[in-house]
Amino acid sequence: MLEIIGLILLGVFAGSLAATLGVGGGIIFVPALVALFSFDQLQAQGTSLAIIVMTAVVGTVTHARAGRVDWKVVAVVGSSGIIAAYGAATLAQSMNEDLLRKVFAIVLALLAIRMGLRTYRLWRISSALDSG
Amino acid sequence: MGFSWPKAAAVGIVAGFLSGLLGIGGGVIVVPGLVLLLGLDQYSAAATSVATIVLTAAAGLVAFGVNGSVDWGTALIVFVGAAMGAWAGAHYMHKIPEYVLAGVFTLVMAVASVRMFF
Repeated sequence: MLEIIGLILLGVFAGSLAATLGVGGGIIFVPALVALFSFDQLQAQGTSLAIIVMTAVVGTVTHARAGRVDWKVVAVVGSSGIIAAYGAATLAQSMNEDLLRKVFAIVLALLAIRMGLRTYRLWRISSALDSG
Repeated sequence: MGFSWPKAAAVGIVAGFLSGLLGIGGGVIVVPGLVLLLGLDQYSAAATSVATIVLTAAAGLVAFGVNGSVDWGTALIVFVGAAMGAWAGAHYMHKIPEYVLAGVFTLVMAVASVRMFF
């Protein structure tokens, strides 16, 4: 019973973050299933994907009702993403994964700096509007 | 900035490639891609990213489901909570100022990049 309550609470926490931030939630589901509910890595990833699909449907319907979903972008990003993911899975053996991981980490850090600068501008505009 | 086929396709290709290769969810790339390249605001970028995740995660699930590595009982229990969370998050999102959303997302990106590097 305690385990069921724990799993539901995990869902509430990760589900609300995922829908608000625009991510799947695997970054929370996978480690939580491994560390707290003793799943092995593969089963945690598979189960996390199943939760993500169902949860993202609920998030999408709610967002779409608020008129926030750009469907043209969804179609292009979704289809090119699926093709690229299958291509990458095929290429995976011949790639230097550690190097790729490090390069990608640096790209992500640079993107984070740009997002941080944008956040600062948004905050400045917002506080100027509040005081003005 | 507005919709552009090449830019949208580039976001999808980079996100799909990395999730296929490194097992990272696409959202952490798709959201900044939509904001910085296509000029979407943080709210629309998050909503549009969630909708693309339905497609990309379903494609990934097909591969995992075939291998039998999905615990559907556990998935459904977590989903009970996640459905409530996702509804509430999407429903009340507009009450959160954009700079707060952007700031939290920046933090998530920073943590993900540090974790990935080491």
